[in-house]
Amino acid sequence: MALPRLLPPAAVDHSTTQTLRAEVRAFLAEQLAAGTFTPSVDAWLAGWDEDFTAALAARGWLGMTVPVAYGGHGRSFLERFVVTEELLAAGPPVAAHWIADRQIVPSLLKYGTELQKTEFLPRIARGECFFGIGMSEPDSGSDLASVRTKGVRVDGGWSLSGTKVWTSGAHHAHAFIVLARTAPLDPAHRHAGLSQFIVDLRGPGVDIRPIVSMNGAHHFNEVILDDVFVPDTMVFGEIGEGWLQVTSELSFERSGPERFLSTFPLLATTVERMASQRISRDSGLGRLVARIAGLHQMSTAVAGALERHEPADVPAAVVKLVGTTTEGDIADFADLRAGDDANSAFAELVSIAADQRPGFTLRGGTNEVLRGVIARGLGMR
Amino acid sequence: MTTAAAIGVDPEVVDMMDAVFAEYRETHPPAARVERDAELWRSLDELGLVRLTGTESSGGSGAGWYEAAELLAATVRHGVRIPLAEHDLLACWLLDSIGLRVDDAVRTVCVLDDRGVATAVPWAAYADRIVVVWQAGSGYQAADVGVGAVAITAGTNTIGEPRDTVTADPTTLPGTAVPGALIGQLQLKSALVRSIQVCAALDRVLELSVEHATARTQFGRPLARFQAVQNLIADIAAEAALARAATEASLSAAVTSEWSASNLEFLVAVARSCAGHAASVVVRNAHQVHGAIGTTREHRLHEFTRPALAWRSEFGSVQHWDEQVTGAAVEAGAAGLWSLITN
Repeated sequence: MALPRLLPPAAVDHSTTQTLRAEVRAFLAEQLAAGTFTPSVDAWLAGWDEDFTAALAARGWLGMTVPVAYGGHGRSFLERFVVTEELLAAGPPVAAHWIADRQIVPSLLKYGTELQKTEFLPRIARGECFFGIGMSEPDSGSDLASVRTKGVRVDGGWSLSGTKVWTSGAHHAHAFIVLARTAPLDPAHRHAGLSQFIVDLRGPGVDIRPIVSMNGAHHFNEVILDDVFVPDTMVFGEIGEGWLQVTSELSFERSGPERFLSTFPLLATTVERMASQRISRDSGLGRLVARIAGLHQMSTAVAGALERHEPADVPAAVVKLVGTTTEGDIADFADLRAGDDANSAFAELVSIAADQRPGFTLRGGTNEVLRGVIARGLGMR
Repeated sequence: MTTAAAIGVDPEVVDMMDAVFAEYRETHPPAARVERDAELWRSLDELGLVRLTGTESSGGSGAGWYEAAELLAATVRHGVRIPLAEHDLLACWLLDSIGLRVDDAVRTVCVLDDRGVATAVPWAAYADRIVVVWQAGSGYQAADVGVGAVAITAGTNTIGEPRDTVTADPTTLPGTAVPGALIGQLQLKSALVRSIQVCAALDRVLELSVEHATARTQFGRPLARFQAVQNLIADIAAEAALARAATEASLSAAVTSEWSASNLEFLVAVARSCAGHAASVVVRNAHQVHGAIGTTREHRLHEFTRPALAWRSEFGSVQHWDEQVTGAAVEAGAAGLWSLITN
């Protein structure tokens, strides 16, 4: 019996990216020394700082894979991977551009019209246009095909009505891509009849309401669409192909470094505290560091496969499953060692990590869904 | 097979290795106490697999560690126990490196402590000669001696493989100087061999678990249709993949740097930590999936689960390797942790 290899071959030549790594590292060290940012956990979701985003754009580290003709930098996916790893390890505020740079850029490059590419890509690369995601709904979480937001054909475009939830940064962002049903649900073909639209978050009929997290932070929003007009020019991809478009890019989202580095700044701080003997020596820390090192290697291998345009949905699911679990294990390891020093920087990181932790294994496909993806990859479903 | 040719090894060579061990296993069920099968050794020798990584001028096959890793994985996949790694990758490599002659004798290697004792020496009781290493002053010495020149007390690990105690008086042995760097390499190579073997065993456990869950029907449907069972097996697959990622990364760094990479100790420790902890989840979940039949001698599962547990504890416990990673991390500090992982 032959099972597929769940790990792409490690055919990545690290020497080609070492210079880039060093550049990003030096930049971040400068910024840290200048007090521009304080390293934080989950900063790709929680740290919105448009000035920092602009500084990264000035270095050419936004829209890296966008062709020069569209205002980008014509770099490889692996080069982008290296930059994002370096950013997440240091924990600066990168949430403003994260969704646009990670998700919207590859989607626009693959499915966008010439007008859409010209309109958005240069602004994304300059750090001037921020995007959100409009997939989940109050009654559609893991079961995305059940979305009820409806697109109705009108003169010159489409009218959208429905409610989207968990749209991070909608209160700051310019636009989001909405998944809507444009043909009645056919129970035999649940994935048919779905379409995507680029929606101006500041346009008429769009109502953005905060969903406040349990610790009082505001990242997520509910976005209510009431008869929102979307011109034909902002139909994203093909009408009726929404499901394929959404799922074809999941490997990029699932295997990235934000799936195992969300708590790296806390891991580094914990190492520091063990070094200074403020917490006792414990080889459980080594287990976690080893897992992060293994995940770095596995995620790099998947990035290599994606660069070579090889299918990697199952390996990507493995990275996200193990990676997000380990992110949470780091939060818990630190929390178990946090004492009465409630006002220390360590305690603050621990507290944020503990509050963010439930989200790690939910967002972008729950670990239960991912185990199903892996089981299917093994021929069990 | 799950492990098919990871890093540029000719798939036909891997197929040939698989065929040899599959055929052997057909006629040789596992024994409670493992002995070195001289006949198998001879046929492997004829195929050029015994001294796989030796130079052709010294009678070897001129292959490298990637091929050797595939050879080890093939023995593990078929549940065949034979000291190819100890002989070729460890003992003969060391002899060759210090300029001593390698011949057809079957060898293993051991490092004596300051009382002249080495414990848990793999396969010493079934070797012709032993490369004995000891500390002398600030350096190391080694001698290639016949088994008659040392005292061997036979022992086994939990799966019955020979793990013997070797006692010798180094003052009576003809010592050749061994550079300290080679001793470090010997330790890393020994550790990585077990990591490669554990990974191969875990991959085979995954295959057996998928096969069993697909074939076995309960409550009117195959086990594979139950989400609870799918979850157990998905976690087996994920842990095995992490162990493999870490092991292949250290192997690749070792080969490209000719075992001189400055972070090789860290990478091997990472591999051993990941493989060791993976074995906990994989073995536990596989037994849960297999039910009671998986705990019997009759079922083949134990040919892979018990070795995975035995091997993860050799050449350093899992805790030892966790502690090595902890030490490296603490030394690197917050500022150096990320470069420790990425360099």
